[in-house]
Amino acid sequence: MKRLTPYLLLVPALLFTLFVLIYPLIQNLINSLSDVSMITGSSGWAGLQNYQNVFEDALFWRSFRNTAVYAIAGTVLALVIGLGFALLLNLKLGKFSTIMGCLYTIPWVISPVVAGFAWKWLLNDNFGIVNFWLSYAGIVPIGTTWLGDPGTALLSVMVARVWQFYPFAMVMFLAGMQSIPQEQYEAAAVDGATMVRRFFYITLPNLKAVGSVLLVLGVIWSFNDFNMVFVMTRGGPMNSSMVLPVLVREFSFVHFDLGKGSALSIIIFGLLTTLSFLYLKVVSRGEPS
Amino acid sequence: MRQKLFLTLLLSFTLLTCGKRSDVVELQDWNFGGRPRLIEFLRQRVYSFEKTHPGMKVIQSDKSWNMIREILYADFSAGAGPDVMNTHSNFAAEFGPAGFYYPVNKFPDFEEVRKWYVPHLLESTRYKDNYYGLPSSAIAFVLVCNKELFDKEGITPPRTWSQFREAAKRLTKDADGDGVVDQFGLVLMGGDKGGFAYRMIPFFFKAGVNVMSDDLTKIEFNSSRGVAALKLITDMYQVDHSITPGFLAYTHSEINDLFCSNKAAMSIEGPWFRGMVDDKSPGKDMYVVAVPVPDDMIGQYETAPTLQDMVMYSINAHSKHLNEAWELLKYLRNDEADMFWMTQDLGATATTLHALNSPEAQSVKDIQLYINELSHARPWPPHPSMIAIASNVFTPYCQRAIVGELSPKAALDQAAKEAQHILDAKK
Repeated sequence: MKRLTPYLLLVPALLFTLFVLIYPLIQNLINSLSDVSMITGSSGWAGLQNYQNVFEDALFWRSFRNTAVYAIAGTVLALVIGLGFALLLNLKLGKFSTIMGCLYTIPWVISPVVAGFAWKWLLNDNFGIVNFWLSYAGIVPIGTTWLGDPGTALLSVMVARVWQFYPFAMVMFLAGMQSIPQEQYEAAAVDGATMVRRFFYITLPNLKAVGSVLLVLGVIWSFNDFNMVFVMTRGGPMNSSMVLPVLVREFSFVHFDLGKGSALSIIIFGLLTTLSFLYLKVVSRGEPS
Repeated sequence: MRQKLFLTLLLSFTLLTCGKRSDVVELQDWNFGGRPRLIEFLRQRVYSFEKTHPGMKVIQSDKSWNMIREILYADFSAGAGPDVMNTHSNFAAEFGPAGFYYPVNKFPDFEEVRKWYVPHLLESTRYKDNYYGLPSSAIAFVLVCNKELFDKEGITPPRTWSQFREAAKRLTKDADGDGVVDQFGLVLMGGDKGGFAYRMIPFFFKAGVNVMSDDLTKIEFNSSRGVAALKLITDMYQVDHSITPGFLAYTHSEINDLFCSNKAAMSIEGPWFRGMVDDKSPGKDMYVVAVPVPDDMIGQYETAPTLQDMVMYSINAHSKHLNEAWELLKYLRNDEADMFWMTQDLGATATTLHALNSPEAQSVKDIQLYINELSHARPWPPHPSMIAIASNVFTPYCQRAIVGELSPKAALDQAAKEAQHILDAKK
């Protein structure tokens, strides 16, 4: 009985995982191989037809490109900004650092839906504060249509995403900086190294592991981000900001092609699983063997 | 001992909370969309239904109008869904034959009930031989004109396409004198695929264009008149620059803000718009007129059809309480209930003969225009794929034409080809 107890204690968690993760995943896989009609509830075997339909759809490739840009460029930008703020906070300016640290983390704790709506209004062409200040400074013309222009919509959503993700990067980098042994800096100071050289030769190499983890995590989270894009543009205008998670909804619940939607979500699952393995590899590389 | 006591208490509590009074019939009523005033009215109506119908309990839920199809599809396909719900009347063609909506003409007193309604409005709830709901409220799409801007410019609301284009041009200007155009003649709802189609098609209908052939087998919106309708809007955007540049991102709220702040002079809207504007800018006035017609059709200005939209109340065919749901439906949509559309601004037009012919109707703003427009208006063709075609095919191609990616003809031809493919697949 004693030997069985641990397994019995695991049963609730296993059942939960089975119903919440495994069952939907398997059902989704079945749907992706079927011709599912939501209206009649019927489904027939379709083989790989749904996958073929996804790959032959020009919108998939456009969304894939958008997602890659949104995830990679957005994450890199957020990391750079996060690193900058972490350096600032690491200067340890007493209460100022504490207050600023709290303020900088606000975007991270705001719900993505709320943040999306807020950014939608900030970027409004007629009443948005962003346009007001940028046009006041002569940087953009009055009435620039950030979200209504196919050329700037994705960039605008990406800015909002960067704004939300940089605090996490900042906190992680700050923690990384605070764990760097002070002796390294003291030795460098004795050798006459400037602040810039200390940054490039001590701080940055010590943050490599944190940066790699953040990069992979950021790409995974952004790749999977539905809320910000859906709230701000719904993938528009004219699909210019369409990303893969929003496209899954588009296929499944706008076109009601559940088979194609499921096939796309399996493709995304595959991509994210690959990225997750990469993440685990990066994490395990930093651990002692 | 303590464990036993705890278990006994837990068991009793579970049994008590799981117990259901068997003599009470519980109905689920899903309300999609609506302004706060309408939602409040529906709550009161249900409350009074429960008072007058002991033994019936109604659970009301408010749902998003924008996600109506996906919510219903997901629930219906899972064998769930409410007993009663309000939806677009054109869903009759989609959910009726699929067996999700109960044909209300099967109730024995339907012939009596049908006499309550304006006959052609009731017809919008019909698909083939069955009626799949009772009309809730009707909408005719019209042109709303910002009175302040029109009066300042000294022009009257347009009746023809050339007057419309000219008015939009004249009302597009730099109003605050900073060298940048900040007032536009027309605003379009480009950020909502369905909403955009509903605002474009009135121009097509007014020009005599059919979306589909009468037998619903052939797409016809790419006729020469259809191309001319799209070219009108395309030219206004590309040549005159009289349409707000950021329209592709706009939904209801942006349009309301632009209209109220005098940055937009005209919009294609419905009876909800006056109330929406009044909520934001109390006292702001507008001209509400019919959507303009092509110049050579000026003689038909008052009779050419606009788009008719209608909300209906339907019953889930899988409801366990069909008769009780029918009682609720009638209570929500009888003469007495419909009078509220006359006495309060609920954002649409009444549908019963009693309300429309009542003395109260005389004092409702724009009602004569809406009654006239509704008497000539046409709904979307009753094809199960119509809404999908309008949102997913018609809208994207029209938008591509407006911003200059395609010519109006190429856009409509390509849209027609794709839409035809959907029709053929449905066969």
